[in-house]
Amino acid sequence: MDAGAARTEVRRIIVVVGALVALAAAVCCSLAFGSVTVPVSEVATSLFGWLTGDHARGIDREIILQLRLPRTVTALAVGASLGVAGAMLQGSLGNPLASPDVVGVTGGAAFGAMLVILLSPGHVALLPVSALVFGLVAALLVIALSWTGVHRGGVGRLILSGIAIGAIFTAATSMLMALHPSRAPSAVMWLAGSLQTEGWPTIRNVAPYLVAGLILAFTLMRPLNRLALGDEVAASLGTSPRVVRVLAIIAAAILASGSAALAGLLGFLGIVIPHAVRLLAGTSNNTYVVPVSALSGAALLTAGDVVARTVKAPLELPVGPMMVAIGVPLFLWLLRKAV
Amino acid sequence: MAFLEVSGAEVRIGDKQILRGADLAVDAGQLVAVVGPNGAGKSTLARAAAGLQKLSGGSVRWDGVDVGAIRARRLALIRAYIPQRPRVPEGVVVREAVLIGRSPHLRPLERLGAHDRDAAEQAMERAGVLAFADRPLTTLSGGELQRVQIAIGLAQEAPVLMADEPTSALDLGATSAMARLLRGLADDGLAVVLVVHDLALAAAVADEVVVLSDGRSVATGPPHEVLHDQQLRDVWHVDAELEADGRGRTALHVRWLDAG
Repeated sequence: MDAGAARTEVRRIIVVVGALVALAAAVCCSLAFGSVTVPVSEVATSLFGWLTGDHARGIDREIILQLRLPRTVTALAVGASLGVAGAMLQGSLGNPLASPDVVGVTGGAAFGAMLVILLSPGHVALLPVSALVFGLVAALLVIALSWTGVHRGGVGRLILSGIAIGAIFTAATSMLMALHPSRAPSAVMWLAGSLQTEGWPTIRNVAPYLVAGLILAFTLMRPLNRLALGDEVAASLGTSPRVVRVLAIIAAAILASGSAALAGLLGFLGIVIPHAVRLLAGTSNNTYVVPVSALSGAALLTAGDVVARTVKAPLELPVGPMMVAIGVPLFLWLLRKAV
Repeated sequence: MAFLEVSGAEVRIGDKQILRGADLAVDAGQLVAVVGPNGAGKSTLARAAAGLQKLSGGSVRWDGVDVGAIRARRLALIRAYIPQRPRVPEGVVVREAVLIGRSPHLRPLERLGAHDRDAAEQAMERAGVLAFADRPLTTLSGGELQRVQIAIGLAQEAPVLMADEPTSALDLGATSAMARLLRGLADDGLAVVLVVHDLALAAAVADEVVVLSDGRSVATGPPHEVLHDQQLRDVWHVDAELEADGRGRTALHVRWLDAG
């Protein structure tokens, strides 16, 4: 290994260590800060008690275990899922702009959520299920539409089908909002993305999908590396580019729909996180980019949520715009250094 | 029977008949060049032989077994295929790219082992890319990139190497280096199929030449027997003659300005 290779290796390690430190700090802050500040020692005692089955009660402990812990877990799961979803889509479509919007998932999930918020606000418990189901339906429609003709499953067909299906769902969402203007404010809050969670039951319902999506994504890391060398090379190495691409889209759709079910629309993370990881670490190797995108996404969203609920406490700002406020300057700085 | 035998291959893509009966055979230690004018179906024949393009007629047999009966990963252990225009991704260094060539040897979740790394190092050494193994692909010249593609193919440790116009974008020096590399690989015992435009190059390196015209193989044999003046006139519509001394020194004399 020459000096250049050693430097690259050190850079990759620094990015992982940096992401882990940021993650740990964000989790501590997320549990400790909010409208009431709980000392870190109390946070540790509460968590230890929870893990060891000690049922002692106390107001701080209730705040941590019933409000902040589920919220932190949601931020971690959604951040990691969106980071991985973005890496899957950018890797499989070979397109730096690819994100869950491109394959129609965001439009579908938003429509699913609007159906409940606008048409049946009494059944708000169904919102996550509806967002998840419609996100997945949108992705399956895109795959089915693109699976026609001589170039079936090709990148161009997938992206164009995604744009068409996404447009249909977005139009339907706008129509629903126009027809029910009185309920539009809560719809807007959901669309902006929020980590105000219903607590453990929702997390428990969505977790299996996120776990399945993450497992599928991790098995696709090496096949995606083959795809990076082009469809012909991948095919000559015994990998079907179409199958890998469709599986990557399914993994991303499950992760993005599950994330939307938990936290509304936070699509920005999916685009930016994998790029930031590639730029910082100087590699596009998916066996590195995918897991580190999970770590970084989890860290960034958790940190963003802490900022969103503390800057104007007790008022809580929506985390979506907050992510953009934190993420865009960081990303532009990275881009400036890279180009 | 040859190790790879394509007979009467027909390929139809959409409404277009690309191959109408093409033959190709290659054995260990042999370099076979596929030549022909633009649109004759050279790349399609190579892809069909490599099992990457479905046939609408005829057959492709690897060691006597029909290509349709061989699973894709098994096929990747039999032949390496180097496409004409491979993608050059950002953020991938040469060594990583060559290690990707080991994937047919790995089970889905298996990690790269010491043997895989050794095979990749040997492939890089043989293809002459070790000197820039830690450089990103995006910083390489056309000739260096093509040699990396060959290294990826060699890392597969397949007995057959198929390359689709590996010299089409290269300058004279890089073309000559590629010619020496491919001939050397055949001399080492590999079966090499080379799709190529340059007839002088084909005549210098190939043991046999397959001439394709309008989707059909119209002649097969040693270069000096097949690439005669009449053949050049019939297939390429040029007044030209090929000169070869049998020791890898060739020239194509073309009457450029006074055709016919």
